Amino acid sequence: MPSADTSPTPRGRPFREGLLALDPPRLLGSRCTDCGAAAFPARTFCPACRTGVVAPAELSTSGRVHSFTVVRQAPPGTEVPYTLAWVDLPADEVRLMAQVVGIAPEGVELDMPVDLELTGFGTAEDGTGLVGFCFRAVGQVAP
Amino acid sequence: MSLAPAHVAGAGMVRFGKYPADVTLEAMALGAAREALSDAGADLAAVEGLYVGHVFGGPVAGQRIAAQLGLDGRPVSNHENYCASGATAIREAWVALAAGLHDVALVIGVEKMTDRVAGGVRPDPGDLDAAVGYVMAAGHAMSARRYMAEHGATREQIAAVAVKNHAHSVHNPWAQYQKPVTLEQVLGARPIAEPLGLLDCSPISDGAAAVLLCTPAGLRRLGLGTGGPRVLGVGQISGSVQTGLGDLNAEDVSRRAGEEAWRLSGVGPADIDLVEMHDCFTIAEIVRMEGLGLVPRGRGAAWAAEGVTALGGRLPVNPSGGLLSRGHPVGATGAAQVCELTWQLRGTAGGRQVEGARTGLAYCKGGTVNGTDGGSVTTVVMTA
Ligand SMILES: [Zn+2]
Repeated sequence: MPSADTSPTPRGRPFREGLLALDPPRLLGSRCTDCGAAAFPARTFCPACRTGVVAPAELSTSGRVHSFTVVRQAPPGTEVPYTLAWVDLPADEVRLMAQVVGIAPEGVELDMPVDLELTGFGTAEDGTGLVGFCFRAVGQVAP
Repeated sequence: MSLAPAHVAGAGMVRFGKYPADVTLEAMALGAAREALSDAGADLAAVEGLYVGHVFGGPVAGQRIAAQLGLDGRPVSNHENYCASGATAIREAWVALAAGLHDVALVIGVEKMTDRVAGGVRPDPGDLDAAVGYVMAAGHAMSARRYMAEHGATREQIAAVAVKNHAHSVHNPWAQYQKPVTLEQVLGARPIAEPLGLLDCSPISDGAAAVLLCTPAGLRRLGLGTGGPRVLGVGQISGSVQTGLGDLNAEDVSRRAGEEAWRLSGVGPADIDLVEMHDCFTIAEIVRMEGLGLVPRGRGAAWAAEGVTALGGRLPVNPSGGLLSRGHPVGATGAAQVCELTWQLRGTAGGRQVEGARTGLAYCKGGTVNGTDGGSVTTVVMTA
Protein backbone atom coordinates (compact mmCIF):
# COMPACT_ATOMS: atom_id res chain seq x y z
CA MET A 1 0.00 0.00 0.00
CA PRO A 2 1.68 3.23 -1.07
CA SER A 3 1.50 6.06 1.41
CA ALA A 4 -0.62 9.03 0.37
CA ASP A 5 1.53 11.56 -1.45
CA THR A 6 0.88 15.24 -1.93
CA SER A 7 1.27 15.59 -5.70
CA PRO A 8 -1.31 17.94 -7.30
CA THR A 9 -3.51 15.84 -9.58
CA PRO A 10 -2.42 12.25 -9.98
CA ARG A 11 -2.98 10.72 -13.42
CA GLY A 12 -4.38 7.32 -14.19
CA ARG A 13 -7.46 5.39 -13.21
CA PRO A 14 -9.11 4.70 -9.86
CA PHE A 15 -7.41 1.83 -8.03
CA ARG A 16 -10.79 0.16 -7.77
CA GLU A 17 -13.60 0.41 -10.27
CA GLY A 18 -16.67 2.30 -9.11
CA LEU A 19 -14.96 3.74 -6.04
CA LEU A 20 -14.32 7.31 -7.12
CA ALA A 21 -14.70 9.86 -9.87
CA LEU A 22 -11.61 11.80 -10.95
CA ASP A 23 -12.99 15.05 -12.34
CA PRO A 24 -14.17 16.55 -10.16
CA PRO A 25 -12.81 14.35 -7.34
CA ARG A 26 -15.68 12.51 -5.67
CA LEU A 27 -16.20 9.36 -3.66
CA LEU A 28 -18.89 7.20 -5.24
CA GLY A 29 -21.28 5.59 -2.82
CA SER A 30 -24.92 4.63 -2.82
CA ARG A 31 -28.05 6.11 -1.31
CA CYS A 32 -31.33 4.50 -0.34
CA THR A 33 -34.23 6.06 -2.23
CA ASP A 34 -36.56 5.08 0.62
CA CYS A 35 -34.82 6.06 3.87
CA GLY A 36 -32.05 8.28 2.47
CA ALA A 37 -29.18 6.45 4.17
CA ALA A 38 -25.90 6.68 2.25
CA ALA A 39 -23.17 4.07 2.11
CA PHE A 40 -19.53 4.01 1.04
CA PRO A 41 -18.38 2.04 -0.83
CA ALA A 42 -21.59 1.57 -2.82
CA ARG A 43 -23.72 -1.37 -1.74
CA THR A 44 -26.46 -3.25 -3.51
CA PHE A 45 -28.72 -3.13 -0.45
CA CYS A 46 -29.57 -0.48 2.11
CA PRO A 47 -27.74 -1.36 5.33
CA ALA A 48 -29.97 1.02 7.31
CA CYS A 49 -33.51 -0.05 6.45
CA ARG A 50 -32.71 -3.30 4.58
CA THR A 51 -35.75 -2.87 2.36
CA GLY A 52 -35.16 0.25 0.30
CA VAL A 53 -33.93 0.53 -3.26
CA VAL A 54 -30.45 1.99 -3.60
CA ALA A 55 -29.05 4.22 -6.32
CA PRO A 56 -25.50 5.41 -7.05
CA ALA A 57 -24.57 8.63 -5.25
CA GLU A 58 -21.69 11.10 -5.21
CA LEU A 59 -20.65 11.92 -1.66
CA SER A 60 -19.71 15.21 -0.06
CA THR A 61 -16.02 16.12 -0.12
CA SER A 62 -16.06 17.83 3.29
CA GLY A 63 -15.16 15.69 6.26
CA ARG A 64 -14.02 15.86 9.86
CA VAL A 65 -11.72 13.60 11.83
CA HIS A 66 -13.72 11.36 14.14
CA SER A 67 -10.65 9.55 15.42
CA PHE A 68 -7.09 9.03 14.25
CA THR A 69 -3.82 7.30 14.92
CA VAL A 70 -0.26 7.63 13.74
CA VAL A 71 0.82 4.25 12.45
CA ARG A 72 4.45 3.66 13.41
CA GLN A 73 4.73 -0.04 12.58
CA ALA A 74 3.24 -1.82 9.58
CA PRO A 75 3.92 -4.91 7.49
CA PRO A 76 6.94 -4.78 5.14
CA GLY A 77 6.43 -2.63 2.05
CA THR A 78 4.46 0.05 3.89
CA GLU A 79 6.23 3.30 4.65
CA VAL A 80 5.65 4.62 8.17
CA PRO A 81 4.66 6.84 9.84
CA TYR A 82 1.32 7.83 8.38
CA THR A 83 -1.84 9.26 9.86
CA LEU A 84 -4.89 7.05 9.54
CA ALA A 85 -8.32 8.33 10.51
CA TRP A 86 -11.98 7.59 10.72
CA VAL A 87 -13.36 10.48 8.68
CA ASP A 88 -17.00 11.52 8.99
CA LEU A 89 -18.85 13.13 6.07
CA PRO A 90 -21.53 14.94 8.07
CA ALA A 91 -23.64 15.90 5.04
CA ASP A 92 -24.04 12.25 4.09
CA GLU A 93 -23.76 10.70 7.57
CA VAL A 94 -21.07 8.40 6.23
CA ARG A 95 -17.95 7.32 8.14
CA LEU A 96 -14.96 5.93 6.26
CA MET A 97 -11.34 5.15 6.84
CA ALA A 98 -8.65 7.18 5.06
CA GLN A 99 -5.22 8.69 5.49
CA VAL A 100 -4.96 12.34 6.46
CA VAL A 101 -2.26 14.43 4.79
CA GLY A 102 -1.04 18.00 4.88
CA ILE A 103 -0.42 18.12 8.61
CA ALA A 104 2.20 16.80 11.00
CA PRO A 105 0.93 13.91 13.15
CA GLU A 106 1.14 16.00 16.32
CA GLY A 107 -1.12 18.63 14.74
CA VAL A 108 -4.09 16.34 14.13
CA GLU A 109 -7.08 16.80 16.43
CA LEU A 110 -10.46 15.19 16.90
CA ASP A 111 -13.18 16.94 14.85
CA MET A 112 -10.60 18.67 12.66
CA PRO A 113 -12.02 19.59 9.21
CA VAL A 114 -10.56 17.77 6.21
CA ASP A 115 -11.28 17.74 2.47
CA LEU A 116 -11.23 14.88 0.00
CA GLU A 117 -8.12 14.72 -2.16
CA LEU A 118 -7.01 12.28 -4.83
CA THR A 119 -3.63 10.68 -4.44
CA GLY A 120 -1.26 8.44 -6.34
CA PHE A 121 -1.89 4.85 -5.39
CA GLY A 122 0.85 2.89 -7.10
CA THR A 123 0.95 1.47 -10.59
CA ALA A 124 -1.18 -1.21 -12.23
CA GLU A 125 0.41 -4.29 -13.81
CA ASP A 126 -0.07 -2.70 -17.26
CA GLY A 127 1.86 0.38 -16.16
CA THR A 128 -1.14 2.68 -15.73
CA GLY A 129 -1.02 4.97 -12.74
CA LEU A 130 -3.59 4.21 -10.05
CA VAL A 131 -5.48 6.89 -8.19
CA GLY A 132 -6.73 6.61 -4.63
CA PHE A 133 -8.14 8.97 -2.04
CA CYS A 134 -7.10 10.63 1.17
CA PHE A 135 -8.17 13.71 3.12
CA ARG A 136 -6.24 16.95 3.52
CA ALA A 137 -6.32 19.02 6.68
CA VAL A 138 -7.95 22.35 5.82
CA GLY A 139 -8.31 24.25 9.05
CA GLN A 140 -8.59 24.36 12.78
CA VAL A 141 -11.24 22.79 14.96
CA ALA A 142 -13.98 25.35 15.54
CA PRO A 143 -13.65 26.75 19.08
CA MET B 1 -32.83 -23.51 23.79
CA SER B 2 -30.57 -26.26 25.00
CA LEU B 3 -28.27 -28.60 23.12
CA ALA B 4 -26.79 -31.80 24.50
CA PRO B 5 -23.88 -30.97 26.82
CA ALA B 6 -20.34 -31.44 25.57
CA HIS B 7 -17.78 -32.21 28.24
CA VAL B 8 -14.16 -31.22 27.94
CA ALA B 9 -12.59 -34.56 28.79
CA GLY B 10 -9.07 -33.41 28.03
CA ALA B 11 -7.20 -30.18 27.45
CA GLY B 12 -3.64 -29.64 26.31
CA MET B 13 -1.33 -26.99 24.94
CA VAL B 14 2.20 -26.50 23.82
CA ARG B 15 3.68 -23.43 25.43
CA PHE B 16 3.00 -20.40 23.25
CA GLY B 17 6.01 -18.49 21.99
CA LYS B 18 8.33 -17.96 19.07
CA TYR B 19 9.60 -21.24 17.69
CA PRO B 20 12.30 -21.86 15.09
CA ALA B 21 11.26 -22.50 11.50
CA ASP B 22 11.92 -26.24 11.79
CA VAL B 23 9.23 -26.60 14.45
CA THR B 24 6.35 -27.15 12.05
CA LEU B 25 2.67 -26.33 12.41
CA GLU B 26 1.99 -30.06 12.34
CA ALA B 27 4.46 -30.73 15.15
CA MET B 28 2.87 -28.09 17.36
CA ALA B 29 -0.60 -29.47 16.69
CA LEU B 30 0.54 -33.00 17.51
CA GLY B 31 2.05 -31.81 20.79
CA ALA B 32 -1.20 -30.18 21.90
CA ALA B 33 -3.36 -33.09 20.69
CA ARG B 34 -1.30 -35.68 22.57
CA GLU B 35 -1.48 -33.58 25.74
CA ALA B 36 -5.28 -33.37 25.46
CA LEU B 37 -5.66 -37.10 24.79
CA SER B 38 -3.32 -38.01 27.61
CA ASP B 39 -5.14 -35.60 29.95
CA ALA B 40 -8.36 -37.49 29.16
CA GLY B 41 -6.70 -40.88 29.32
CA ALA B 42 -8.07 -41.54 25.84
CA ASP B 43 -6.38 -43.15 22.90
CA LEU B 44 -6.61 -42.08 19.29
CA ALA B 45 -8.96 -44.90 18.37
CA ALA B 46 -11.70 -43.21 20.38
CA VAL B 47 -11.61 -40.03 18.27
CA GLU B 48 -14.40 -39.92 15.70
CA GLY B 49 -13.75 -36.53 14.12
CA LEU B 50 -11.06 -33.86 13.99
CA TYR B 51 -11.84 -30.12 13.86
CA VAL B 52 -8.92 -27.78 13.24
CA GLY B 53 -8.87 -23.99 13.51
CA HIS B 54 -6.05 -22.12 11.78
CA VAL B 55 -5.56 -19.03 9.61
CA PHE B 56 -2.12 -19.20 8.01
CA GLY B 57 -1.84 -22.99 7.92
CA GLY B 58 -2.50 -23.40 4.22
CA PRO B 59 -4.90 -25.76 2.46
CA VAL B 60 -6.01 -28.87 4.37
CA ALA B 61 -3.67 -28.26 7.28
CA GLY B 62 -6.05 -30.37 9.38
CA GLN B 63 -5.57 -33.35 7.10
CA ARG B 64 -1.79 -32.88 7.22
CA ILE B 65 -2.04 -33.01 10.98
CA ALA B 66 -4.33 -36.05 10.89
CA ALA B 67 -1.89 -37.88 8.64
CA GLN B 68 0.93 -37.36 11.14
CA LEU B 69 -1.16 -37.93 14.25
CA GLY B 70 -2.78 -41.18 13.11
CA LEU B 71 -6.28 -39.80 12.60
CA ASP B 72 -6.09 -40.31 8.84
CA GLY B 73 -9.31 -41.54 7.31
CA ARG B 74 -11.50 -39.86 9.92
CA PRO B 75 -13.65 -36.82 9.08
CA VAL B 76 -11.40 -33.75 9.28
CA SER B 77 -12.51 -30.16 8.79
CA ASN B 78 -10.63 -26.87 8.69
CA HIS B 79 -12.06 -23.68 10.15
CA GLU B 80 -10.91 -20.14 9.39
CA ASN B 81 -12.54 -17.20 11.16
CA TYR B 82 -9.30 -15.31 11.81
CA CYS B 83 -8.71 -14.94 15.57
CA ALA B 84 -11.96 -16.79 16.27
CA SER B 85 -10.86 -19.85 14.25
CA GLY B 86 -10.03 -22.10 17.20
CA ALA B 87 -13.34 -21.34 18.89
CA THR B 88 -15.17 -21.78 15.60
CA ALA B 89 -13.67 -25.27 15.35
CA ILE B 90 -14.93 -25.95 18.89
CA ARG B 91 -18.37 -24.74 17.88
CA GLU B 92 -18.52 -27.06 14.90
CA ALA B 93 -17.40 -30.03 17.02
CA TRP B 94 -19.99 -29.11 19.65
CA VAL B 95 -22.71 -28.93 16.99
CA ALA B 96 -21.64 -32.32 15.60
CA LEU B 97 -21.84 -33.84 19.09
CA ALA B 98 -25.23 -32.25 19.70
CA ALA B 99 -26.46 -33.55 16.36
CA GLY B 100 -25.43 -37.08 17.26
CA LEU B 101 -22.73 -37.37 14.59
CA HIS B 102 -20.00 -38.20 17.09
CA ASP B 103 -19.56 -38.88 20.79
CA VAL B 104 -15.86 -38.01 20.86
CA ALA B 105 -14.31 -35.18 18.84
CA LEU B 106 -10.85 -33.70 18.95
CA VAL B 107 -10.43 -29.98 18.37
CA ILE B 108 -7.07 -28.38 17.65
CA GLY B 109 -6.34 -24.68 17.28
CA VAL B 110 -2.91 -24.10 15.79
CA GLU B 111 -0.84 -21.35 14.22
CA LYS B 112 2.74 -21.06 13.07
CA MET B 113 2.87 -17.34 12.74
CA THR B 114 6.34 -15.98 13.40
CA ASP B 115 7.75 -17.16 10.08
CA ARG B 116 4.68 -16.03 8.10
CA VAL B 117 3.60 -12.66 9.51
CA ALA B 118 5.72 -9.57 10.19
CA GLY B 119 5.13 -6.00 11.28
CA GLY B 120 1.49 -6.39 12.23
CA VAL B 121 -1.63 -8.16 11.12
CA ARG B 122 -3.83 -6.79 8.36
CA PRO B 123 -7.15 -7.83 6.83
CA ASP B 124 -7.34 -9.58 3.48
CA PRO B 125 -5.52 -7.42 0.89
CA GLY B 126 -8.76 -7.11 -1.07
CA ASP B 127 -10.42 -5.30 1.84
CA LEU B 128 -10.82 -1.55 1.23
CA ASP B 129 -9.58 -0.58 4.69
CA ALA B 130 -6.45 -2.67 4.17
CA ALA B 131 -5.89 -0.82 0.90
CA VAL B 132 -5.84 2.57 2.64
CA GLY B 133 -3.43 1.43 5.34
CA TYR B 134 -5.44 -0.36 8.00
CA VAL B 135 -3.57 -2.63 10.36
CA MET B 136 -5.24 -4.13 13.43
CA ALA B 137 -3.26 -1.95 15.82
CA ALA B 138 -4.49 1.19 14.03
CA GLY B 139 -8.14 0.27 14.44
CA HIS B 140 -7.71 -0.31 18.16
CA ALA B 141 -5.67 2.87 18.53
CA MET B 142 -8.52 4.90 17.03
CA SER B 143 -10.92 3.10 19.34
CA ALA B 144 -8.73 4.00 22.33
CA ARG B 145 -8.47 7.67 21.38
CA ARG B 146 -12.23 7.98 21.04
CA TYR B 147 -12.81 6.03 24.26
CA MET B 148 -10.61 8.43 26.21
CA ALA B 149 -12.30 11.47 24.67
CA GLU B 150 -15.82 10.26 25.38
CA HIS B 151 -15.46 8.62 28.78
CA GLY B 152 -12.70 10.67 30.36
CA ALA B 153 -10.58 7.55 30.66
CA THR B 154 -6.84 8.05 30.98
CA ARG B 155 -4.00 6.49 29.05
CA GLU B 156 -2.84 5.04 32.37
CA GLN B 157 -6.16 3.29 32.94
CA ILE B 158 -5.99 1.63 29.53
CA ALA B 159 -2.39 0.60 30.17
CA ALA B 160 -3.55 -0.99 33.44
CA VAL B 161 -5.00 -3.85 31.39
CA ALA B 162 -1.49 -4.83 30.27
CA VAL B 163 -0.12 -4.51 33.80
CA LYS B 164 -2.94 -6.70 35.16
CA ASN B 165 -2.71 -9.41 32.50
CA HIS B 166 1.07 -9.65 32.68
CA ALA B 167 0.80 -9.95 36.47
CA HIS B 168 -1.54 -12.92 35.96
CA SER B 169 0.80 -14.54 33.42
CA VAL B 170 3.47 -15.09 36.07
CA HIS B 171 1.36 -18.06 37.19
CA ASN B 172 0.77 -19.53 33.73
CA PRO B 173 3.44 -21.99 32.55
CA TRP B 174 1.88 -22.04 29.05
CA ALA B 175 2.25 -18.30 28.53
CA GLN B 176 4.75 -16.83 26.08
CA TYR B 177 5.64 -14.11 28.61
CA GLN B 178 5.65 -14.90 32.32
CA LYS B 179 6.99 -11.63 33.69
CA PRO B 180 5.18 -8.71 35.29
CA VAL B 181 5.43 -5.30 33.65
CA THR B 182 5.09 -1.90 35.31
CA LEU B 183 2.77 0.91 34.30
CA GLU B 184 5.87 2.95 33.44
CA GLN B 185 7.06 0.21 31.08
CA VAL B 186 3.70 0.11 29.27
CA LEU B 187 3.54 3.90 28.95
CA GLY B 188 7.18 4.15 27.88
CA ALA B 189 7.15 1.35 25.32
CA ARG B 190 7.88 2.01 21.66
CA PRO B 191 4.80 3.53 19.96
CA ILE B 192 3.07 1.21 17.47
CA ALA B 193 -0.07 3.15 16.60
CA GLU B 194 -0.61 6.12 18.87
CA PRO B 195 -1.76 6.14 21.61
CA LEU B 196 -0.93 2.43 21.77
CA GLY B 197 2.59 1.17 22.33
CA LEU B 198 4.27 -2.19 22.07
CA LEU B 199 3.01 -3.46 25.44
CA ASP B 200 -0.60 -2.59 24.52
CA CYS B 201 -0.35 -5.16 21.70
CA SER B 202 -0.44 -8.94 21.83
CA PRO B 203 2.61 -10.52 20.22
CA ILE B 204 2.90 -12.49 17.00
CA SER B 205 3.23 -16.04 18.30
CA ASP B 206 3.38 -19.72 17.51
CA GLY B 207 1.36 -22.28 19.39
CA ALA B 208 -1.29 -24.95 19.54
CA ALA B 209 -4.04 -25.93 21.94
CA ALA B 210 -6.39 -28.88 21.88
CA VAL B 211 -9.49 -30.13 23.64
CA LEU B 212 -11.21 -33.50 23.56
CA LEU B 213 -14.98 -32.98 23.55
CA CYS B 214 -17.29 -35.82 24.60
CA THR B 215 -21.02 -36.41 24.92
CA PRO B 216 -22.11 -38.23 28.09
CA ALA B 217 -22.04 -41.44 26.01
CA GLY B 218 -18.50 -40.61 24.91
CA LEU B 219 -17.44 -40.11 28.53
CA ARG B 220 -18.88 -43.52 29.44
CA ARG B 221 -17.08 -45.13 26.54
CA LEU B 222 -13.81 -43.63 27.74
CA GLY B 223 -14.56 -44.73 31.30
CA LEU B 224 -14.56 -41.13 32.53
CA GLY B 225 -17.79 -41.15 34.56
CA THR B 226 -20.07 -38.16 34.16
CA GLY B 227 -18.17 -35.24 35.62
CA GLY B 228 -15.90 -32.52 34.40
CA PRO B 229 -16.41 -29.10 32.92
CA ARG B 230 -19.09 -28.80 30.27
CA VAL B 231 -19.57 -26.51 27.29
CA LEU B 232 -23.05 -25.02 27.71
CA GLY B 233 -23.03 -23.22 24.42
CA VAL B 234 -20.83 -21.67 21.76
CA GLY B 235 -22.22 -18.55 20.18
CA GLN B 236 -21.03 -17.33 16.82
CA ILE B 237 -22.05 -14.15 15.06
CA SER B 238 -20.56 -11.79 12.49
CA GLY B 239 -20.20 -8.04 12.27
CA SER B 240 -22.96 -6.10 10.55
CA VAL B 241 -22.64 -3.27 8.04
CA GLN B 242 -22.65 0.02 9.93
CA THR B 243 -24.46 3.18 8.92
CA GLY B 244 -24.48 6.69 10.31
CA LEU B 245 -22.03 8.44 12.62
CA GLY B 246 -22.60 6.50 15.84
CA ASP B 247 -20.35 5.50 18.72
CA LEU B 248 -17.12 3.99 17.42
CA ASN B 249 -16.99 1.86 20.57
CA ALA B 250 -20.64 0.80 20.58
CA GLU B 251 -19.52 -2.83 20.12
CA ASP B 252 -22.94 -3.82 18.92
CA VAL B 253 -21.24 -6.96 17.63
CA SER B 254 -20.23 -7.81 21.22
CA ARG B 255 -23.70 -7.04 22.54
CA ARG B 256 -25.16 -9.47 20.02
CA ALA B 257 -22.45 -12.01 20.85
CA GLY B 258 -23.48 -11.79 24.50
CA GLU B 259 -27.13 -12.29 23.66
CA GLU B 260 -26.22 -15.37 21.66
CA ALA B 261 -24.12 -16.72 24.52
CA TRP B 262 -26.90 -16.27 27.07
CA ARG B 263 -29.53 -17.69 24.72
CA LEU B 264 -27.54 -20.83 23.95
CA SER B 265 -26.16 -21.48 27.41
CA GLY B 266 -29.14 -20.57 29.56
CA VAL B 267 -26.96 -18.53 31.90
CA GLY B 268 -26.76 -14.75 32.22
CA PRO B 269 -24.09 -12.12 32.83
CA ALA B 270 -24.60 -12.34 36.60
CA ASP B 271 -23.62 -16.02 36.55
CA ILE B 272 -20.16 -15.42 35.05
CA ASP B 273 -17.28 -15.92 37.52
CA LEU B 274 -14.41 -15.31 35.12
CA VAL B 275 -13.79 -14.28 31.54
CA GLU B 276 -11.08 -15.20 29.07
CA MET B 277 -11.32 -12.10 26.90
CA HIS B 278 -9.78 -11.46 23.50
CA ASP B 279 -7.35 -8.76 24.63
CA CYS B 280 -5.44 -8.56 21.36
CA PHE B 281 -4.93 -4.93 22.44
CA THR B 282 -5.47 -3.37 25.88
CA ILE B 283 -8.40 -1.24 24.75
CA ALA B 284 -10.07 -4.28 23.15
CA GLU B 285 -10.52 -5.99 26.52
CA ILE B 286 -12.23 -2.86 27.83
CA VAL B 287 -14.71 -2.17 25.05
CA ARG B 288 -15.57 -5.82 24.50
CA MET B 289 -16.38 -6.41 28.17
CA GLU B 290 -18.62 -3.34 27.98
CA GLY B 291 -20.23 -4.53 24.76
CA LEU B 292 -21.01 -7.91 26.31
CA GLY B 293 -22.72 -6.13 29.18
CA LEU B 294 -20.30 -7.47 31.81
CA VAL B 295 -18.92 -4.01 32.62
CA PRO B 296 -20.95 -0.75 32.64
CA ARG B 297 -20.44 1.41 29.56
CA GLY B 298 -17.44 3.72 29.98
CA ARG B 299 -16.21 2.05 33.18
CA GLY B 300 -13.96 -0.68 31.78
CA ALA B 301 -10.72 1.26 31.93
CA ALA B 302 -11.40 2.43 35.48
CA TRP B 303 -12.32 -1.10 36.53
CA ALA B 304 -9.00 -2.40 35.22
CA ALA B 305 -7.09 0.30 37.09
CA GLU B 306 -9.08 -0.32 40.30
CA GLY B 307 -8.45 -4.08 40.24
CA VAL B 308 -12.07 -5.11 39.75
CA THR B 309 -11.04 -7.32 36.81
CA ALA B 310 -7.84 -8.64 38.45
CA LEU B 311 -7.42 -11.99 40.17
CA GLY B 312 -9.04 -11.53 43.57
CA GLY B 313 -11.32 -8.82 42.17
CA ARG B 314 -15.07 -9.04 41.61
CA LEU B 315 -14.86 -10.27 38.00
CA PRO B 316 -11.41 -11.62 37.06
CA VAL B 317 -10.65 -11.16 33.36
CA ASN B 318 -7.83 -13.10 31.74
CA PRO B 319 -6.41 -15.02 34.72
CA SER B 320 -4.29 -16.83 32.09
CA GLY B 321 -2.54 -13.58 31.20
CA GLY B 322 -4.69 -13.16 28.12
CA LEU B 323 -3.43 -12.72 24.62
CA LEU B 324 -1.15 -9.90 25.79
CA SER B 325 0.93 -12.37 27.83
CA ARG B 326 -0.02 -15.89 26.78
CA GLY B 327 0.62 -14.87 23.18
CA HIS B 328 -1.71 -14.79 20.20
CA PRO B 329 -1.15 -17.50 17.61
CA VAL B 330 -4.42 -16.47 16.02
CA GLY B 331 -5.93 -19.84 15.10
CA ALA B 332 -4.93 -21.36 18.44
CA THR B 333 -6.25 -18.65 20.74
CA GLY B 334 -9.88 -19.81 21.02
CA ALA B 335 -8.80 -23.34 21.90
CA ALA B 336 -6.29 -22.03 24.45
CA GLN B 337 -9.05 -20.00 26.14
CA VAL B 338 -11.14 -23.17 26.48
CA CYS B 339 -8.15 -25.02 27.95
CA GLU B 340 -7.87 -22.25 30.53
CA LEU B 341 -11.60 -22.34 31.35
CA THR B 342 -11.31 -26.12 31.76
CA TRP B 343 -8.44 -25.84 34.23
CA GLN B 344 -10.16 -23.00 36.10
CA LEU B 345 -13.44 -24.92 36.39
CA ARG B 346 -11.59 -28.05 37.55
CA GLY B 347 -9.90 -25.91 40.19
CA THR B 348 -6.44 -26.89 38.97
CA ALA B 349 -5.16 -23.52 37.72
CA GLY B 350 -2.61 -23.13 40.51
CA GLY B 351 -1.46 -19.62 41.33
CA ARG B 352 -3.91 -18.09 38.83
CA GLN B 353 -6.95 -19.99 40.13
CA VAL B 354 -10.14 -17.92 40.39
CA GLU B 355 -11.52 -19.02 43.74
CA GLY B 356 -14.89 -20.70 43.51
CA ALA B 357 -15.07 -20.49 39.72
CA ARG B 358 -18.26 -22.24 38.57
CA THR B 359 -19.09 -20.60 35.25
CA GLY B 360 -16.79 -18.96 32.72
CA LEU B 361 -17.00 -17.26 29.36
CA ALA B 362 -14.40 -17.10 26.60
CA TYR B 363 -14.71 -14.46 23.89
CA CYS B 364 -12.86 -14.26 20.58
CA LYS B 365 -13.24 -11.61 17.90
CA GLY B 366 -11.55 -12.32 14.63
CA GLY B 367 -10.85 -10.24 11.58
CA THR B 368 -12.26 -7.05 10.16
CA VAL B 369 -14.38 -6.42 7.11
CA ASN B 370 -14.66 -2.93 5.63
CA GLY B 371 -17.85 -1.21 6.69
CA THR B 372 -18.76 -3.67 9.45
CA ASP B 373 -18.13 -3.69 13.18
CA GLY B 374 -16.04 -6.84 13.04
CA GLY B 375 -15.43 -10.16 11.38
CA SER B 376 -16.42 -13.15 13.47
CA VAL B 377 -17.17 -13.30 17.18
CA THR B 378 -17.40 -16.46 19.25
CA THR B 379 -18.49 -16.91 22.84
CA VAL B 380 -17.93 -20.16 24.71
CA VAL B 381 -19.81 -20.59 27.98
CA MET B 382 -18.67 -23.39 30.27
CA THR B 383 -19.69 -24.59 33.69
CA ALA B 384 -17.96 -26.83 36.23
ZN1 LIG C 1 -32.89 2.44 3.42
